[in-house]
Amino acid sequence: MKKDIILLAVIAVVLTSCSTTSTTLKTVAYKGMYDEKPLSILLMPPINNTTAVDAKEYFHSTLNVPLANAGYYVIPPLLSMEILKKESAYDAEMFLKAPLNKFGEIFGADLVMFTIINKWNKSYGNVSVGVEYILKSTKTNEIVYTRKGTVNYNTSASASGGGLIGALVSVAATTINTAATKYIDVARACNGYALSDLPVGKYAPVNPKESEEFAGKNDFNVSLNSKSDY
Amino acid sequence: MKKIIYISISVFLLCSCTTQKKLYSWNKYQSTSYNYLKNNDDKSTEELMKTYKLIIEKQTGTRGVVPPGIYADYGFLLLKANKTSEGKEMLQKEIELYPESKIFIDKILKKIER
Repeated sequence: MKKDIILLAVIAVVLTSCSTTSTTLKTVAYKGMYDEKPLSILLMPPINNTTAVDAKEYFHSTLNVPLANAGYYVIPPLLSMEILKKESAYDAEMFLKAPLNKFGEIFGADLVMFTIINKWNKSYGNVSVGVEYILKSTKTNEIVYTRKGTVNYNTSASASGGGLIGALVSVAATTINTAATKYIDVARACNGYALSDLPVGKYAPVNPKESEEFAGKNDFNVSLNSKSDY
Repeated sequence: MKKIIYISISVFLLCSCTTQKKLYSWNKYQSTSYNYLKNNDDKSTEELMKTYKLIIEKQTGTRGVVPPGIYADYGFLLLKANKTSEGKEMLQKEIELYPESKIFIDKILKKIER
């Protein structure tokens, strides 16, 4: 009997660790995505509202992978960045509320992606990141996907391993990691998590259950580490 | 018996939390592109170009094709290194693989011709 209860408790924990969804269906939450069926996405340089100077590049270099892996065409990041610079359009903030049709004409972008970094607080073994993602249509200027939240990322290289020896090994392993690699991982996880809710794009296999799936909470607060699959 | 059922349910739930194999493989793209954005020197450029080459030649993603933007950005770095014909060839390959890139890449190709 007691064993059964423990096992049930384990199952409950497993279940709750999965449930970060809202009660809104994806088809409703991301209606614009389903209506327009966008294919191509232009990345705007992230807007960095923090004092962490490198945060912009951490995010910029890790945005295209989750979008492409979700089945979208991401406009070549370096080439488009070069053109944005040449056209004096490198400051993404200018376009947050501006018409985006030009981006459709020049880059062939269906969507423009804005990333706003609001917080990047480091403490030993942890980075707390506040970040917002906004995907806007170049045809309607409407927001078709947005998520905002906090990611608490455990940067200790080994998330598991208990006891004193485990702790010592962890400390050693953490100092071996170069700072940059570690923080790229943080940004990668933030992007991966926040964008994991996207409906699948043209190049990804159709997800037959997608119409029954609930959208993730668009205001999220999660704890991630290097073992998280994002 | 009950235990086995519970355990198998747990295992199933755990599995359903993990994701399957990805559409594309990216080699060391994220760290090398970061280095390039941050430092923009010869070494970081060279490393990023090496990464592009590996992504193109050793693609292990489920689609079995080069991910979006890789041919074009590789071409861009080749053009910057004055390897014009190789660079143009890469831009063409981007258009062939991803026709939706034509509207943008054609403009770049025209600029080079001028």
